[in-house]
Amino acid sequence: MGLEKLVELRGIVKRFPGVIANDHVDFELRCGEVHALLGENGAGKTTLMNILYGLYQPDEGEIYIKGNRVRLRSPSDAIKLGIGMVHQNFKLVESHTVLENVILGLKEPGIRIDFEKHARKIGLLAERYGWRIDPEVKVWQLSAGEKQQVELLKILYRGADILILDEPTSVLTPQETKTLFEALRKMAAEGRGIIFITHKLGEVMEVSDRVTVMRRGRVVVTKKTSEVTKSELANYMIGRPVIFSLEKVEAKPGKVLMRLIDLEALSDKGAPALNKVSLEVRSGEILGIAGISGNGQVELAEVIVGLRKALRGKVIIDGLDVTNRSSKELIELGVAYIPPESVRWGVLPELRIVDNLFLKAYRYPPYSSNLILNWRRMFEKARKLIEEFDVITPSIFSKARSLSGGNIQRLVLARELSGLIGGAPRLIIAAYPTKGLDIGAAEFVHKLLLKHKSMGSGILFISEDLEELLMLSDRIAVMSGGRIVGILSREEASVEKLGLMMSEALPQAW
Amino acid sequence: MSLRIKTRFGILRIERRLSYTRMFSAAMSILSIALAFAVVGIILVIMGLDPIRAFSLIFGVYVKPPLLLESIKQSIPICLSALGLGIAFKMNFWNIGAEGQLYMGMIASTGIVLLHEYYGFFQGWMLLPLMLASSFILGGAWCLITGFLKAKLSVNEILPTLMLNYVAILVVDFLVHGPWRDPKGYGFPLSIEFPSYAKLTLIYGSSAYTGLLLSIAAAAAVFVLMEYTRPGFEIKVVGQSVNVARYAGISVSGVIMLGSFLSGGLAGVGGLSIVSGIIGRLRPGASPGYGYTAIIVASLAGLNPWLIVVTSIFFGGLLTAGGALQMNMGIPGSATQMIEAIIFLLILVGEFLKRYRLILERGVRD
Amino acid sequence: MIEWIESVLRLTIQVGTIYLLASLGEIYAERSGILNLGLEGIMIMGAALSFIFTLAYGHLAAILISIIVGVLMSLILAVMSVHMRLNQVVTGLALTMLGLGLSGFIASPEIRRGILLTLNPSLPENLLTTQEAPKLPEAPIPLLSEIPILGGSFFNQNVLVYVSYVAAPLMWFILFKTRFGLSLRSVGENPAAADALGVNVYLVRYLATMISGGFAGLAGAYLFLGFQPFWQEGLTAGKGFIALSLVILSTWNPLRAILGAYLFGGVETLQYRLQLFGLGAQSPYILAMLPYLVAIITLVLISYENIRKRIGVPASLGIPYSREE
Repeated sequence: MGLEKLVELRGIVKRFPGVIANDHVDFELRCGEVHALLGENGAGKTTLMNILYGLYQPDEGEIYIKGNRVRLRSPSDAIKLGIGMVHQNFKLVESHTVLENVILGLKEPGIRIDFEKHARKIGLLAERYGWRIDPEVKVWQLSAGEKQQVELLKILYRGADILILDEPTSVLTPQETKTLFEALRKMAAEGRGIIFITHKLGEVMEVSDRVTVMRRGRVVVTKKTSEVTKSELANYMIGRPVIFSLEKVEAKPGKVLMRLIDLEALSDKGAPALNKVSLEVRSGEILGIAGISGNGQVELAEVIVGLRKALRGKVIIDGLDVTNRSSKELIELGVAYIPPESVRWGVLPELRIVDNLFLKAYRYPPYSSNLILNWRRMFEKARKLIEEFDVITPSIFSKARSLSGGNIQRLVLARELSGLIGGAPRLIIAAYPTKGLDIGAAEFVHKLLLKHKSMGSGILFISEDLEELLMLSDRIAVMSGGRIVGILSREEASVEKLGLMMSEALPQAW
Repeated sequence: MSLRIKTRFGILRIERRLSYTRMFSAAMSILSIALAFAVVGIILVIMGLDPIRAFSLIFGVYVKPPLLLESIKQSIPICLSALGLGIAFKMNFWNIGAEGQLYMGMIASTGIVLLHEYYGFFQGWMLLPLMLASSFILGGAWCLITGFLKAKLSVNEILPTLMLNYVAILVVDFLVHGPWRDPKGYGFPLSIEFPSYAKLTLIYGSSAYTGLLLSIAAAAAVFVLMEYTRPGFEIKVVGQSVNVARYAGISVSGVIMLGSFLSGGLAGVGGLSIVSGIIGRLRPGASPGYGYTAIIVASLAGLNPWLIVVTSIFFGGLLTAGGALQMNMGIPGSATQMIEAIIFLLILVGEFLKRYRLILERGVRD
Repeated sequence: MIEWIESVLRLTIQVGTIYLLASLGEIYAERSGILNLGLEGIMIMGAALSFIFTLAYGHLAAILISIIVGVLMSLILAVMSVHMRLNQVVTGLALTMLGLGLSGFIASPEIRRGILLTLNPSLPENLLTTQEAPKLPEAPIPLLSEIPILGGSFFNQNVLVYVSYVAAPLMWFILFKTRFGLSLRSVGENPAAADALGVNVYLVRYLATMISGGFAGLAGAYLFLGFQPFWQEGLTAGKGFIALSLVILSTWNPLRAILGAYLFGGVETLQYRLQLFGLGAQSPYILAMLPYLVAIITLVLISYENIRKRIGVPASLGIPYSREE
């Protein structure tokens, strides 16, 4: 105990094709501390921790656990040494019970599983940290916060004293975050060491004892949290003072472009996802949708663009009732959709760039007549588009998978926003368009959306980043549990108010 | 553990290749085939048979004109089915039912002939075009059954297409043992022989040339369809991702049904080429597994229509060679199927070697 | 009348056991995420091998060889699916084609003769040329086999049928009540989750695939020795594929597989009985279609059910797993 080093990483190097994810990284974790690992997306934090957990093998460098040099060839080795990891995307078997998930892979004598014994022990462990989990419940029925508790139970059940948490609060409400932090403090006080990966500065200040900042695969600095400020950390993280410079475009909202009336819809699992949602978007305005992801935002977007059935309610665009019309008809009405995780769902990696650009427009003149495709026109236009939208690629015939994340997003924007089908889109639905992008790529997206706003389009902008929403939106609606909790204008809104609304502490008095 | 295997010589690492040239790809395919023949040679030796004689018989079918023509003839049903499979597989529709669709094509063609011979329908010159159309439609419809099940009920297509193969073969069995049996056939389960104007035109005494023209025309049609038309584009998109296809406004169920119809239709025409080009009538077991060989051909040719034509001739030759091996060396017919399977497996291994590199790290101590 | 019911039931169980044995193994493979389309090929190899080895050595050797070769053949699939990450549909088909070709080859008159003589040089001439092998004898269980109707049907069967009676509940128990079973099911649903907890995903998949191969080989041996000991090419006639439909029908549950297997057993029994009633000389072919059509219908119905009740295919079925990609 005391200041004993639980983990020491020296000179870790990890390369992937085309990129150095960890560049001679040194890191240490002491007994009883909560150590934050801070950095932007792609800084190398998760890779480093995956190495510590035995999921990846380092190309160079040494790992010391409790003073002994070790080689972690797989998670089993890590688990044996008392290391446990909770990943950002939960690694749970949804169709199994909590108990089955917790005891998976546990080495015990005998072939038979003693379900009763384990149920009791898990129950006691959960109680210790104030969690209410029934071991017999199937995991898919749990909330995100509860699922995370199951992940923590998995590690604690195996007696881990080194805990790694990867962006644990990204799926939690503020209330659940509080519960988590209390549990973490308790675990640290019991002598464990906790590594906490995040890109949120506020959390670092709130819960950590020390913080290590990483940027582009390197460690920038390691300091005691009490000896550093938020803006210093931001500086370390990004390498330059963080000022978002955007010309404010005054809203000149015109007529109502889209009206949603009491929309109700189900999620993929059959649970209610939209609960009497009503909204309006005018031309020339940006309506932001705030809220923790998973509260119906994506389902809302899908219902509007015809990819999900609305059980009840209406979608009215330009006075026309388009509820439950096909996605093709919505495209033809001038509705553009930038899907969430475009990098994964919005492009076809094995097809060429030109194919991806014309994914929607291929069936309309002048790009096809009757059933025949006019490739010449498509090639011409594609070349212009990749220049206009700054998509960096050797040729329009390269496969889309050769593009980087930011370039893929530019491709999607080029496809959706350049008016290939009958002119500029009137209504733009953008779902988390800047997620996973670096600052430069995100700025590009912002500028483009503002340009379309000034051209008169109405934009529905869904994002998890409150600061981004405040910067771009004219009005912000908060969604929680499939309902619109409230709508604030930009002047009225602030991070604190929005945060409270997201956890429904304020009534819908607006 | 994942990508590392400890061997006596060090650690074997499996790493994904960043890219590979077409030359490399072709070289690997040829290497696989060569290896397959090596394996076959070994088996022959173990069986106490002369591999040199066997191989010379095999290579002979590609070189001696009468055998080469026979190889081409045998390649036609394979080629047509494989072209159909090229469409289906591009769409991620695992059509294992080409064999049954071939049989349905045979039924349709024979039906037209019988309508003419027994009931006087149609003029003679109409027969072949009608047979072409009907075999396409019936073969297409047979595959469409499964296409419909997949599109509307999300049933996985592998088992239904497979089951329908057995059903189709039984339908033919039923017909040639019963209502369609040639009354003058001495009780054998055969249909009447087709009149000459219902058979593929003989040029220099062989239907191989007409058949080859048919193959090439079909390959051209498939090429144009996939590269230059809207349905072809939609098929490719659906094959890549059903979700992205919906997002793009494509009617996924429509595409699946169209694609399955076209795929089965081409195989149906393959059936026509069997009854009109190879056998001259309908009988049980008319196909020695052309529909299954087509799967190997389509995979090996990477779904490329032109490569499919060439590869089909290679496999048509293997079938012919199988016959020669049986007659001259007493090697049972099932050997051909075995050889095909070995080639297939080794080609798949070759696929793996194309995509991944094996690196042996010697003497690395953990 | 009672005798008639008993004989129908008996035949149903006899036929059903073929499907039961084949599907029990495949359930394990699919539960771990591997689709073994090579089942048909392994089954027919099991049949061919049991033909040859029964003539050379006897029943026990034949059954053991069939199981071992089944395991080895599925090992090919395992390597290609797990380590080479090749498409499982295509690999499985190739394996089936190999099995069909190889079985026809080794069982063909000349080759078979050579193999038999190599194995047992003192075999008499009639055994070298026969197409038939001695059938597995019935082993009625004393007392139990005397129960009216049920006794005669269930407990007057050959030893492999009794093996299936024990195997099915045992496989169910292992799958749902042991650590190995939990690991296996988890690998099939979410291999990343299992991997992160130290479960050896590759090993589990290898074992599961080999289990399916072993059972398929056994099913082939049973088909030949226990049911129809006359060798013909294409003996299995798609039974391996029907077993695959059975796996889906049983929602990957060994106990439900019993019901499904006897359902198909019943359909085939019906087919034979109707033939006996002389429904025309042409009928054999129409009736023979029954099992395949029933398979398709059950697949459609179960798809419908699954969508409604959200019962899932093992989520990672057919998808190769890799940690670093």
